Amino acid sequence: MKGKALSAKEGINKAIIDFLKKSLEKKCFDALLIPAKVPETESYAWLLLQDESLLELANPLPPVMTVQGGKALSTVTKHGEMHQSVAAVMRPCEVRAAVELFKLKQNNLENITLISIDCPGTMPLSDYTDNPEKMTKAFENAFDKWGEGDNLRPICQICHKFSLTSLFPPSPQESPSDQNEKDFSASDLHIGLLGGNKEKIFLMPCSTRGTELLEKLELPPQDSLEKWESKVKEIIDKKIKKRNTFNKEWLTKIGGNEKFIAVFDECINCHNCMRVCPICYCQQCYFDSPALNLPPEAYLQRAEKRGALRFPLDTLLFHLGRMSHMVLSCVSCGACEDACPMSIPVAQIFSVIGDQTQKDFNYVPGRNRGEPLPLQVFREDEFSEVEIPSEGEETSTGEAEKNV
Amino acid sequence: MNDNIGVYVCECGPNIKDRIEIDKVIEEISSLENVKTAKKFSLLCSNDGKKFLAEEIKKEELTHLVVAACSPREHEQTFMNVCTEAGLNPYLFQLINIREQCAWMISDKDEATSKAIKYIRAGINRVALHKALEKKEIEINPDVLVIGGGISGLETSLSLAGKDRKVYLVEKAESLGGMARKLSQLLPQQGSGLSLIKEKITQAENNKNIKIFTSSEVNDARGFLGNFEVTVKLNGTDSEEREIRVGAIAVATGFGLFDPKKSTQYGYGEIDNVLTAMEFEEMMNFGKVRLKNGQPPKSVALIHCVGRKERGYCSKVCCLYSIRFARYLKDKLSDVSVTDFYIDLCLPDKADQEYFEEAKNKGIRFVRSDEEVKVKKSGDKIAVEYQIEGKQDHITTDMVVLAPAMIPSEGTSKLADMLNIPLDATGFFKEVHEILDPVSTPIEGVYAVGCALGPNNIPESIIQSQAAAGKIFSSLIPGKKIEPEVKVSEIREDFCTGCQTCLSVCFYGAISFDPFKGISIVNEAICRGCGSCVGICPSGAIRSKHFTYPQLYREVLEALR
Amino acid sequence: MSKALKIKKGVDKGLNDLLEFLLKSKDIKGIFALKKMNENGAVSYSLMTSVDELKKATPLHPLMPVNAGKVLSIFSLKEATKEPVAAVLRPCELRAFIELVKRNQGSLDNLLLISLTCGGVYPLQSLADGNMKKHLPPYWESLKKAEINPDLRVTCQSCEHFIPYLADMTVATVGKKDLDKECTILLNTTKGEDYAKDAPGNIGSEEMETAETEKLKKRREEQNKKIVEDFEKEGLGFKALVKTFSACLACHGCSYACPICYCTLCDFDSKTLEYSPQSFVSELEQKGGLKIPPGNIFFHLGRMSHMAVSCVNCGMCSDVCPVNIPVATVFSRVSLSLQDEFNYLPGKDVEESVPYGVYKEEEFVEIGEQ
Repeated sequence: MKGKALSAKEGINKAIIDFLKKSLEKKCFDALLIPAKVPETESYAWLLLQDESLLELANPLPPVMTVQGGKALSTVTKHGEMHQSVAAVMRPCEVRAAVELFKLKQNNLENITLISIDCPGTMPLSDYTDNPEKMTKAFENAFDKWGEGDNLRPICQICHKFSLTSLFPPSPQESPSDQNEKDFSASDLHIGLLGGNKEKIFLMPCSTRGTELLEKLELPPQDSLEKWESKVKEIIDKKIKKRNTFNKEWLTKIGGNEKFIAVFDECINCHNCMRVCPICYCQQCYFDSPALNLPPEAYLQRAEKRGALRFPLDTLLFHLGRMSHMVLSCVSCGACEDACPMSIPVAQIFSVIGDQTQKDFNYVPGRNRGEPLPLQVFREDEFSEVEIPSEGEETSTGEAEKNV
Repeated sequence: MNDNIGVYVCECGPNIKDRIEIDKVIEEISSLENVKTAKKFSLLCSNDGKKFLAEEIKKEELTHLVVAACSPREHEQTFMNVCTEAGLNPYLFQLINIREQCAWMISDKDEATSKAIKYIRAGINRVALHKALEKKEIEINPDVLVIGGGISGLETSLSLAGKDRKVYLVEKAESLGGMARKLSQLLPQQGSGLSLIKEKITQAENNKNIKIFTSSEVNDARGFLGNFEVTVKLNGTDSEEREIRVGAIAVATGFGLFDPKKSTQYGYGEIDNVLTAMEFEEMMNFGKVRLKNGQPPKSVALIHCVGRKERGYCSKVCCLYSIRFARYLKDKLSDVSVTDFYIDLCLPDKADQEYFEEAKNKGIRFVRSDEEVKVKKSGDKIAVEYQIEGKQDHITTDMVVLAPAMIPSEGTSKLADMLNIPLDATGFFKEVHEILDPVSTPIEGVYAVGCALGPNNIPESIIQSQAAAGKIFSSLIPGKKIEPEVKVSEIREDFCTGCQTCLSVCFYGAISFDPFKGISIVNEAICRGCGSCVGICPSGAIRSKHFTYPQLYREVLEALR
Repeated sequence: MSKALKIKKGVDKGLNDLLEFLLKSKDIKGIFALKKMNENGAVSYSLMTSVDELKKATPLHPLMPVNAGKVLSIFSLKEATKEPVAAVLRPCELRAFIELVKRNQGSLDNLLLISLTCGGVYPLQSLADGNMKKHLPPYWESLKKAEINPDLRVTCQSCEHFIPYLADMTVATVGKKDLDKECTILLNTTKGEDYAKDAPGNIGSEEMETAETEKLKKRREEQNKKIVEDFEKEGLGFKALVKTFSACLACHGCSYACPICYCTLCDFDSKTLEYSPQSFVSELEQKGGLKIPPGNIFFHLGRMSHMAVSCVNCGMCSDVCPVNIPVATVFSRVSLSLQDEFNYLPGKDVEESVPYGVYKEEEFVEIGEQ
């Protein structure tokens, strides 16, 4: 694979913004969706801009992830096709969320160019809110140590999907359309930051749209990406090792009813995690709906069963229910944990379970747009190992129960 | 609540009376708040019983009716009819099974009684939340679409077409007749000559009530029994389209043939004078069987079961036509030697055994090979290698005719998708039940006949066509109204985000997406109320009209108290 | 002067004894109160029906994981409870419940309401930071002295309505120097008196408002002034509003945590406030740049206009905000002045209608004249 190297001697941010500025000038797209700093504050927000002068506020990789980019894109394109062309500059997990939302028909990607960037991670939102200057400095160091900083969000510290999608271990079943187009990446254009000693950035087209963009800008992808690829692969390997250890530890920490319940002792049922999650798209969450309203005698009856009934109710039902609805599409972005007022490690837990369950379906959320959602695919022969056999057959349920 | 719920316990002769303390049940149920009256009766499904219930509904001014008796499969409809006639909405009714589920399976009378009471209480709680659902009526369209103009399609069309019923016959090829038209002759037991096929074609062409579209294909079909909307692409173009409205669809798309090139051991396409059955049939149509060099063959080998192993099934017709070929050769060419190679011989019909014996008497040799034969070049002749009981042998022959397996015709899976009907493991259309319902598909109003279902001979195809016609006659009566299912699902607009997950699980194609509103919509006339969509919607935007969360919750809560 | 039950035990133990008495010896079927969840100081409201579970109750623990008004609303939303149930909740929580009852979101029937003179609660962040244990001794000290503990929720530091209005019983805590030895529970209504009959302890008398409570009231008033001053230093007006909410993620956590926000599907979460791509394009043409998601200030002002008249300043909104926006400070400032205009105190009188539903021919004439 080849890309176009651009000079970043004046800083990575500037290099990216200049590239975007040129693209706007040359009308490669009509508008840009990119994070920006709110003037006179330390806060970041998504900005949909047409006016080039607003680019001076833009920052493609802020130290925090406020609103999840996939969700932000859905806000704009949920109700139909955008008749202007828009380039959305997002972190890889945000692109993956956008792809999952595309499969769920919660956005429309016609005329949208998805641009992803190598991501070193982000700082915890509460730490940043408490001390923005300190965290901004720490974030700058993250570019040097790439993912090794221990003040990054825990979910970022174990993230191996921080770069181009196609560098993940490939799926055994690519969808036929992708096999024709060789469009394995979820984004249209990827900006590589590694392997250039912070003096270069690499633009790599990942789809016809990305190729056309570079053509229009007269930036032919003829430069070698070897250094970038080897550096990225090196870090991916490190992260995967970290992730495996992390997953193992967590499964021990939360394995079994008692331990799992204890994690949510401090949960106040605010449902913030659900509302900031990009994959949670229901207009009204089932767990907020009147379906769970009961008459008082029902509550008393439930309370009498064990002597007490926690209010608000169904804390575990909410988390496990939400999990069963969305974990197959969980992109481990960590928005949930950032939003939790009680600092419950929701992202870490959901990510671990996500890894396990996605593996069972051979599914990587957001990998490519053609790969169907496991929830919507019927396969007659599936998971026979967890079926309870009828009389006369050998039982094999022991294994299944152990893994719960 | 201003409910007047009437609860009636049936003694069911000795069935319930002997095993449950009915008086105790009546006593307990009577004390419940919203129960207006609780009574018993000897046999509620009898005429007297039904009369009693109707009177009670009126006398006690019941708002809901609960009957504790046998299984809903037996008498739910009976009592629903009583309600309707007495002026009570039949969906404000619940039948509690205290016969099969209590009396008949619990020997201890006390236990059976307390379980019955529990179930009745649960049912009362549920029925209090029932909504009065209204039945709807739709007027049906009696016309029929027949897809495929081969022998099955023709027979179906001719059986159905009449003054009150039009048939639209859509055929992909330029002319009618399908595969049968390519035959040079039928089996003698089926009648001599091919006038049968030609006659059917002429009859269809002359029939005013059959509209024929050749070089045309069905492009889209939506709807349900009595009300299908079909788009047909005409005249081999992509641009010319016609919308047809029909009440039923018969799929008669016939079959294709296995390509022997796929099995290199037969040498088809590589070795001269190795032909397929269709190619041989063409020679028979011309009346001349010749080798490539223009000479008539002195020896012919007919290979049955070509592709049988690969496909996994026997194609039923090839043995008989191969024997037909063999007999033709013997009759036409004076000293030709003919050998039939087969793995198994298929002679199912009454006259077939005799036909076969006669063939043997003509000197046709039949060789049962252990495994598929191998066809190899041998100088300017052909060697056919075979194996009997482990011993290898071969013959040398001038010509080889291969009988390839029947396969699903091209476009079968596209059509299956379009009509939402299933294919079985072999790739042919799947009937609902081989014995009980051999020409229906799971979609009401859509039938499959002839070789579209799998290998069939002409007599069978005719029978199936007439069967399908019969089914259509009885279900699609002109002027009749259809009452679609009432206990269907409904989608609440405000809560639907248009993710279309429900569409992916609806087997009946009852859910469609409205791109303008950005929501999914249930077609209540097609919905069968299976509830799959209700289960899969993560936000609960879809509900079942007769299995709502509060109804089920209250029932279960009471049963577990 | 009202009757009071005096139990010769520390206020915690005394209250728990009373609750146990209610459960065992009276017709109370269950008790709503905070219950211990772990050794970290985490608590959760719980409906306790057994004496064993009741032993884990810590009703006076200074933490509010959820406004109990919401809890009682969940309990009695569909219909009034037929079995009597008792609830221990803080004055603002009780007021919130009353406001919900006025809107048909709950019922008072068969509820025995036990409140307290309230010393405030800590922000939930204290629990998240693992500091609850550390906070308890200074908390009780400030309570005894009727002083404001500086680590409390900002709304608590400035709350003047810390004496409950409609409780059946009130646990006296503010300014009570003998909290370690004696538990004093005022019996405010006949119902309260009836339930206290034969309870462990002696019946004496006590004032709801004492010299100590007056002291605290004054201190809270001053603190309120200070908080408002500090806040207004940032400036008022639209620009300041935008800056205050600049970090807002539109997570709507504040709305969901608010006891008064009871709508099944908030308008701001519904399709009504989702925009077509065309609207984005046309806005973009006009303004050159748009914040995504849009309508941030609209949401807050909209919510404010819907609920401010019943805002009880409990402070749940600020606690759940992931980016520490002082939502409660903004909302309480506006709601207090709004309630002043209508001469309305939310939660004081269940018979008093919410001002929105009351038509007065002559009202705010002075605004019309301008």
